[in-house]
Amino acid sequence: MTAEIFDRGYRQYDGPRSGVPGAMKTLVKHSLKRSLGLGRSARFKVIPVLVILFSFIPALVFLGIAALFPEEINNQFIPTYAEYFTYTIPITSLVLFSAFIAPDLLCTDRRSSMLGVYLASPLDRRSYLVSKAIAISIMLGIITVGPPLFLMIALVLEGSGPDTVGEFLTTGLRIIGSGIMMSAFYTAISFAVAAATDRAGTAIAAILGLLFGSGAIITIITETTQVDSNIRLLNFLNMPGQLGFRIHGEAGSLDWLQVSTSSMWLAFFGILLVSTLWIWSRYGPLLVRR
Amino acid sequence: MESLVIAEAVAKRYGSYTALSDVNFEIGPGITGLLGANGTGKTTLLGMMLGLHQITGGSLSVLGVDPYNEGHQIRARMGYAPEHHTLPGDVQASDFVKHVAELHGLPPREAKTRASDALWLVGLGEERFRPMGTMSTGQRQRVKLAQAIAHDPRLILLDEPTDGLDPEQRDEMLNLIRTVSSSFGISVILSSHLLDEVERVCDAAVIIGEGRTLAAGSLEGLRGSGSDVVLELETAEETSVVAAALTHSSISHSVNDRTIVVRGDDEQVFDVARDVCASAGVSLRRLSRRRLSLEDVYLERAS
Repeated sequence: MTAEIFDRGYRQYDGPRSGVPGAMKTLVKHSLKRSLGLGRSARFKVIPVLVILFSFIPALVFLGIAALFPEEINNQFIPTYAEYFTYTIPITSLVLFSAFIAPDLLCTDRRSSMLGVYLASPLDRRSYLVSKAIAISIMLGIITVGPPLFLMIALVLEGSGPDTVGEFLTTGLRIIGSGIMMSAFYTAISFAVAAATDRAGTAIAAILGLLFGSGAIITIITETTQVDSNIRLLNFLNMPGQLGFRIHGEAGSLDWLQVSTSSMWLAFFGILLVSTLWIWSRYGPLLVRR
Repeated sequence: MESLVIAEAVAKRYGSYTALSDVNFEIGPGITGLLGANGTGKTTLLGMMLGLHQITGGSLSVLGVDPYNEGHQIRARMGYAPEHHTLPGDVQASDFVKHVAELHGLPPREAKTRASDALWLVGLGEERFRPMGTMSTGQRQRVKLAQAIAHDPRLILLDEPTDGLDPEQRDEMLNLIRTVSSSFGISVILSSHLLDEVERVCDAAVIIGEGRTLAAGSLEGLRGSGSDVVLELETAEETSVVAAALTHSSISHSVNDRTIVVRGDDEQVFDVARDVCASAGVSLRRLSRRRLSLEDVYLERAS
C-alpha cells in the first residue's frame, strides 16, 4: 500500500529561472500544442489533423503512381516539387491552416486575460509577438515543407528521386527554402489580419476573403484588361507558389513569365515589412487589459 | 523596513492626456491596497510597476530596480492576477497554472509540481483537472491567485480579486490573500475600489485620485491621520452647553447627536476639551482621538 501526499504546503523556489529565452520557448511550445489541439477537447484536434492529412494526400498519390508505373509514365504524372502547391488540395490546406491558426493563437489571447498574463511574465510585447510568429511559422511549415520533402525522400527510396547526393541536397535545400518562404508569407498575412480584431471568427473570414479574394480579383483583372503584369504580385493566393518555382530554378506558370524574380522578392519582403509594421502598430500602444 | 516599490513624483502622459501627475508612495512588505475610483490610473500604475509602460516624469523603483529597463527581471519575480475572468475556457486549470509557472522560468517538472501545490493551497486540489470554462467565478478567481503564486514570486499584483464573488466567497478569498502574505511570505498589492475590503485585509494603502496620491501609508497611520478629538457626552442636551463653551474659546468643532468632534492635532486639545466639560459640569462618556475609517480618509482627501 502506498501513500500519496496531496497537500505539501507552500515551498519556496530557489532554483534557476530560464528568463526571456525560456519564456519564449514555453510560449512557442504551448502555442504549437494549442494549434494541434493537444490538451484540448476532440473537436479542436479535428481541423489540424484533417488539414495536415489532406496536405499529404497528393504526395501519397504520386508515390503510389511512382511505385506502380514505369518511369516513362511517372514522368508524365508526377509533378516537380515546385508544382506541388499548384494543386488544389495542398494550397487549400495551406490557406485553411493559415486562416485558423493565427486567429486562434492571437485573438483568443487578446479577448481573454491571457495577453495581460503573458505581459506580466518575463515576456514583453516584442518577445511575445516573435514567439507567436515562430509558432505559426512552424505549424505552416509542416504543410509547406513536410509533403514535398516527404515525397522527395520517398521517391529516393523508391528509386525515382534525385540520383546523386549533390542533387538530393540541392533539391532538399530548395524544398526547405521554398517552404520557409511560403510559411513566412502566410504567417505575415494571417498574423496581420488577426492583429486587427479580437474576434477569431471575423479574422478567419477576413483571411480567407483576402487570400481567395485577391486570387479571384487579380485573375479577373489580368484576364479582362491590359494592366501591368506586376499587378499579379497582389495575388496573395498564387504569388508565394510562383516565387517557389523561381527558388527551384523553374519558370513557373506562363502568365507569370513577365513578372521578374526580383519583383517577386521585393513584393515578398514588402509584405513582410508592412505586416510587421502593422502588427507593431496594433500591439505597441496596447495597455495591460484589466 | 525594506521598500518593495518606491514612487517619487511619478507622472504618465499619453500625448496631451495626463493619466498620472504626481504619484508618491513607498510600499513595504505585507498587503497594500491600491485604492481609487475607476479611471483614476490604478491600471496604468500597475502597468508601470510591471515595466510595460515608461514613466514620463519622476522615478519608480520596483524590487530595487527600474521596472521599465529591467522589466523581464522584475516580472520573473512578480505574479499578476488580472481582473477579468475570461481565461481560456478549454484549458485545464493545472495546465494553465503550470504554463504560467514555466513562463516565469521554472523547469517543466518543477512547474508541474508547484502548479498542483498552488491549486491545492487555494482549495482547488480536487478540481485542478477541470477546464476553466466549466468553473464558477469563485473558482476562476482562485485559479488566478494560484497562477500568481505558483512560481514563488516576491510580490503579486491582484486586480480586483473579489470581483463577482458572493459574500461567503469574498471572505474566503480575503482569507486566502491574508494567508499568502502571512504564511507564504509573499507581499501583495491589491488593486480595488472596495474600501471595506482593503480595510479588512491590508496592512497599508495607497489612495489614488485624479492622477495623484491622495494618501499613502500604513492603515493605522491613515486612520489616525484625522488627529481630532472625540467627546462623547451622557446626553444630547449637554452637547449644546459644551459646544457653546468651545465656541467661546474659539475652538473649531462639529456636533453630531451626543458626540462633538474637536478639531486640532495638538495634545493641548485634550486638555482644553476636558477643562471645558469640567467647567460646564457635564459628564463625559468618552474622550479619545478620533479614528477615521478608510472611507473617511478617502472622502476627506478626495474632497
